[in-house]
Amino acid sequence: MTAAAAMTIAPDAAAPRSGARLLISTLERLGVEVVFGYPGGAIMPVYDALTGSSLRHILVRHEQAAAFAADAYARRSGRVGVCLATSGPGATNLITGIANAMMDSIPVVCITGNVPQGVMGTDAFQEIDILGVTLPIVKHSILVRDQADVPAAIEEAFHIAASGRPGPVLVDLPKDVQVGTTTQDFGFPYPNAVATTDHDAIGRAAEAIRRAERPLIYVGGGVKIGRAVEELRAFAEATGIPSVSTLNALGTIPTDAPGALGMLGMHGTRGANEAVQEADLLIVFGARFDDRATGKLAEFAPQARVVHFDIDASEIGKLRRTEVAVAGELPAGIAALTDHLTPTPLKIDPWMMRCTARAARTAFRYDAPGDGVYAPALLKAISEAAGDDFVAACDVGQHQMWAAQHCRFARPEAHLTSGGLGAMGFGLPAGIGAKLADPDATVVVVAGDGGFMMNIQELATLRRYGIPVKVLLLDNSSLGLVRQWQELFFEQNYSEVDLSDNPDFVKVAEAFGVEAFRISRREEVQAGIARLLAADGPCLAHVIIDPRENVWPLVPPGKNNAEMMEGA
Amino acid sequence: MTADTLHLHIDRADGSLQRLIGLVERRGFHIDGLSLSEDGSGRRVEMAVRGRDAARCTQTLGRQIDKLFGVTRMPVPSHSAAFVPERVA
Repeated sequence: MTAAAAMTIAPDAAAPRSGARLLISTLERLGVEVVFGYPGGAIMPVYDALTGSSLRHILVRHEQAAAFAADAYARRSGRVGVCLATSGPGATNLITGIANAMMDSIPVVCITGNVPQGVMGTDAFQEIDILGVTLPIVKHSILVRDQADVPAAIEEAFHIAASGRPGPVLVDLPKDVQVGTTTQDFGFPYPNAVATTDHDAIGRAAEAIRRAERPLIYVGGGVKIGRAVEELRAFAEATGIPSVSTLNALGTIPTDAPGALGMLGMHGTRGANEAVQEADLLIVFGARFDDRATGKLAEFAPQARVVHFDIDASEIGKLRRTEVAVAGELPAGIAALTDHLTPTPLKIDPWMMRCTARAARTAFRYDAPGDGVYAPALLKAISEAAGDDFVAACDVGQHQMWAAQHCRFARPEAHLTSGGLGAMGFGLPAGIGAKLADPDATVVVVAGDGGFMMNIQELATLRRYGIPVKVLLLDNSSLGLVRQWQELFFEQNYSEVDLSDNPDFVKVAEAFGVEAFRISRREEVQAGIARLLAADGPCLAHVIIDPRENVWPLVPPGKNNAEMMEGA
Repeated sequence: MTADTLHLHIDRADGSLQRLIGLVERRGFHIDGLSLSEDGSGRRVEMAVRGRDAARCTQTLGRQIDKLFGVTRMPVPSHSAAFVPERVA
């Protein structure tokens, strides 16, 4: 470049730019590659500025799917997910997705347009106080009042979303801010907080572990989010302490690793739940004692003292008294704990043997009678066939619990599930987000017929972009988990759970331009799995399963985790 | 159940006060008293809070408030019954 050319460029760089263009430039500068969204009146300047940018915009068919896809993109990539929506209904359609990200601590930045500031508060067309509406379900939110503040607001949003305990941040951009111009350039980079490790507390934690006869690792989703997976695996391997996992933590320790007892809680394994009830020390990493995990809290792990590591100090002692609390970054904390314990092996062989023997004795069986498709066996088989590249993007319901119980997960990013919120409709958009984040993964959407219908329109997104997501649709023609509870706890009063008038899902998928086929009998399963996984593009397998099949074991509401019900 | 008084400083950003009040109520506390005054860099808030049941812990509430952006717990006057920020570990 010549000196003259450089001189002509410099004034251009300082030329006034609109808030919308600054937004796009800031997203590019932050390294964003993919955004999920849906245009509308109050976000049109942003969509205008999007043209010609380096950002890949994925046009979903409902804003909820944009939020779910951004969430899954973040879960799979470890980066901040981004979604865009217009004001009013566009913004309110994001809400379930925002809440989902909040409950599972996922870094998502949601950018909404809004009416011009001059008409805010006048009930203008498509005006909603989205900042006010979303206050309880965001980590933070920012209403940008001046176009010069756009870069700083976006950078702040990204920093807050991803730092500490991650979560969603909403940035609301009134239309006048989008169109107004400024010579303001980028904001200032946020310094990363320096993590400190409380070595005194870690020493006390190590002492407690050394004194314990029946220690148990309780792994939560915070380990994956806190990027402490390798440290945790090293700790478990070095100490030989058995582990249980929450729904959101499955795969953090590979589900087939020695000492991995499986998921605890309502639909947890007997091996995990009974170990928790017998343990004399719980070593909790990045978990929050969710009620689905603990059952009746007052009777949860009744013999155990608690050592709790978490980035979020407000989770420590919130629901369960903690003997040793270590608030801070997990990787450094866990590594230091391992260092304390490795010189001398723990004397817990009898406990480890007891746990693993019980887990083997009570392991799931797959020899269900009949020739119909047995969903647990199908899910186990597809996860094993897909191998270490397998990623399950689950919807919510019985199939979600079966996936958690029976799939093999080699890494925590392999299991994408709406854990805290339990939002039906998550599966398909989550599969889209995951596949775009990790094109080499074998992404399988595990859905039920109820949840699939909640975002079925996203088949159009699969088709539009040719995203080779595989959909495993387990159809029991009912809202299976609700039906199960009505059977068990409401005297078989099956109220509004029948979905036997479902559409022909194969024809529906084909109408969207997505390859589809049906599996009705057990003998078709292996070939069906092979066809689904081998498909070049998006593909849907519609699997007919027995509507009477239940998820077992089950800890009934109000009971402790040792009081599991088992099916026939 | 007795009330504790929170001494806080909040910024002027949209939603800051709403965010604080919403969190306190959502986490299971009654707000029995509230005063708001301006200071040079934002607003000072004194808020008397009382748990809805015995399981509500003001220490946990304090840590949850600490997670809000633009809200800071202030040193407590010596005559006050308020809780103070504490080290967790």
